[in-house]
Amino acid sequence: MSAISAQNLTKRYGKKHAVDGISFDIEQGEIVGFLGPNGAGKTTTLRMLAGLIKPSKGSSTILGKKVPSSSLLEVGTMIEEPSFYGYMTGRDNLRHAAKMHGGVSDKHIDEMLSFVSMDQASNKRVRAYSQGMRQRLGLARALLWRPKVLLLDEPTNGLDPVGIAEIRENLRTIAHEGVTILISSHILAELEKLVERILAVERGKLLYDGPLQQMLKRIDEKTVTYFLDALNPDALKYALSHLNIDFQSLDGGAIQVVIPQNDAASVISRLIQEGVQLIEARRITDNLEGAYLRLLKEDGRPV
Amino acid sequence: MNALLNVINAELFKVVRKRRVYILAFLWWVILPVLILFVARILLQNLSTNFVENSSPIAPSTIVETLASPFGIARISLMLPSVISPSFYMMVLALLAALFIGDERSQNMWKTTLTAQPNRLSVIFGKFFAAMIVYGVLLFGGFLLSFLYGAIGMLPLPFLSLPTSFSGEWLGLLKLYALQWLFGSAGMFFAFLMIWLLRNAVLGIIAILFAPPILEGIYTIYATLVGFQPVNRINLVFQTLRLRKTLEELPRYFFTNNLYAPARKPLSEIVGALGVNPGSNSGDLGPLGAILGNGITLQSSALVITGYALIFGLIMLWRFTREDVS
Repeated sequence: MSAISAQNLTKRYGKKHAVDGISFDIEQGEIVGFLGPNGAGKTTTLRMLAGLIKPSKGSSTILGKKVPSSSLLEVGTMIEEPSFYGYMTGRDNLRHAAKMHGGVSDKHIDEMLSFVSMDQASNKRVRAYSQGMRQRLGLARALLWRPKVLLLDEPTNGLDPVGIAEIRENLRTIAHEGVTILISSHILAELEKLVERILAVERGKLLYDGPLQQMLKRIDEKTVTYFLDALNPDALKYALSHLNIDFQSLDGGAIQVVIPQNDAASVISRLIQEGVQLIEARRITDNLEGAYLRLLKEDGRPV
Repeated sequence: MNALLNVINAELFKVVRKRRVYILAFLWWVILPVLILFVARILLQNLSTNFVENSSPIAPSTIVETLASPFGIARISLMLPSVISPSFYMMVLALLAALFIGDERSQNMWKTTLTAQPNRLSVIFGKFFAAMIVYGVLLFGGFLLSFLYGAIGMLPLPFLSLPTSFSGEWLGLLKLYALQWLFGSAGMFFAFLMIWLLRNAVLGIIAILFAPPILEGIYTIYATLVGFQPVNRINLVFQTLRLRKTLEELPRYFFTNNLYAPARKPLSEIVGALGVNPGSNSGDLGPLGAILGNGITLQSSALVITGYALIFGLIMLWRFTREDVS
C-alpha cells in the first residue's frame, strides 16, 4: 500500500490548469522532494493531498484511503507560511491544535517544542514571533499527532542557515522513524541533502519522477559543465563566442560553460588553437540545482 | 461524535484566551446591573410620592421594584440589550462569530484547523456549538448575577437600601431567557454566514450589524412613501400575483422583529408598570410603538426564526463543506 498516491490529479481554475493530470505513488518511509518554479502547481497538489481543495479531476489516496477521509488524521502538514492565533502563546496554539485533533498529551507537546528548539519561547504570544520561529512552531504542530505522512511546503522559508540545518536534521530524524515525507523547497541544496527521490513539476505537469541520483546522472550523461580560467579572460570569451558556445561569466574573470559530453575534449583543444592561454579547465559535477534548471530548459522554459 | 467534542473542547480553550469575551461579560454582567442600581437609587431619591401627578399615581417604590429588584434586573438584563441599536445581542453574536471563524477566514487559518481536524462537519458544528455555549454563558450569567446585584441593592447602606424583594415570575422569565438563547441560533448562523461569505471578519461584523436593518429600512421607506396602492408597476405586479397582502405583512417576517421577540416580551410589562398602556395605538407610543405594537406572538416568531436558522444554517453548511480552503 502506498503512503501517498495521486492518480491523474487535476485542478482547473477557469480555463487554466493549475495541476494537469499528475500521477505518482510514494511508498511508506520515502522522503520525496517536490520541485517546481513558482506557480508550477506544487502547493495546489499538496493542498489536494491534504483535502483542503477538491480536484477537478482524478483522485488521491493517503495510506490507502481516498482523500478526504479519516486517513487525513494521520497527516501532518505545513503548507505555505504557517498561520497561528496571534493572541495565544506558541504552546497554547499547539494545545489548541492538539485538542482539535485529539489524543495528544501535554508531555508530547513539550517534547515537540523541545524538538524544534522552541521550548524557551513557547510562552510568548505568537504575534511577537519572527518568521523563523513561526516556521519552527509550524513544524512542531505538523508533528503533534505523530503523523505517518508529512506534507511540507517550503518548511525552511525565513530560516537562517543554522535554522535550516536544524530543520534538516529534524526531518532526517523523523524520516528514520518511518514517516513518509513529501517536501517542496526552493533551496535545492537542502533538498539534495535530504531526499532520495524527486518529483519535478512545471506548468502543472509532472516532468520527472525518479531517484535523485538518477536525475543528476541522466543529465550528466548528456552534457557536462566546465569551469575555465585563462590568463586573458577577454580572449577566452571571444574564442567561446567564435565557437558559438554559450558561457556564464563568474567572479574573477572565470567562465562556466555547459557543453555536450562528447565535444568536451575538442572544445578545449580548439580554445588552445585559438590562442587562449588556459590556466584551469575543470569539470564540475552537476548538483540538483544545475540538473533541475537544465531539466526546465529541456522543457522549453527560459532559465 | 469524538471529532465534534474535540472541536468544541478546542474552541472553548481558545475562547477563554480572548479578551473580547471578558469585555462582553463585563458589559453584560457588571456595567448593566450597576447602571440599573444607580438609576434606581437616583429615582428613589428624587421622585416625589407620586410619579405622575394627577393621573395614575405610581409609588417610587413600585418603580424601583420594577427596575432594580433581582427579578427586575434579570428582566432588564434580558430586555435592554434587544432595544438598543444596533442591538447588543447582535453585537455579541457578531463578535463571537468573528472569534470562532474570523481568524480562520481572514488570516488563512482554515488550512491549520482543517488539517488538525479534517472532518468539516464536525469543525463547523463544533465551532457553532461552542459559540452558542459562550452566548448562553453570557446570557444566563446575566440572569444568575441579577440575584447578586438585586441583593446588593437591598443592603442597608446609605447609598443603596432599595425597597425591593426577590418576588417575581422567575420561571416564566427563565423560559424567555432560554427562548432568547435558542432564537440566537438563527443570528449565530447568520453571523457565521456573513463572515464566511465576505471572507473578512471586520466586513462580516459590519454586514451582521447593518445588513438586516438596512434591508428592512428600505422596505419601510418604500411602504411609507409609496404605500401599496396600485400606483406603480411594481405594485401592479404584486397585485396581479395576489401578493399584496404578503407584502403588507412582510414586517411580521423580518429577521430583527422576530429575533428579539422573547427579550422584548417583558417590555410591555415594564412600560405598563411605569404607567404606559401598551395596548395604546402604537403611533401614540413613539419609538416604543415599533417595538411593542408589532403584534407578533412568540409562537409565530419561533416559526419564523426556525425558518431563518434553517436557511442560514443550510447555506453555511453547503458553502463550508464544498468550498476550497485557501
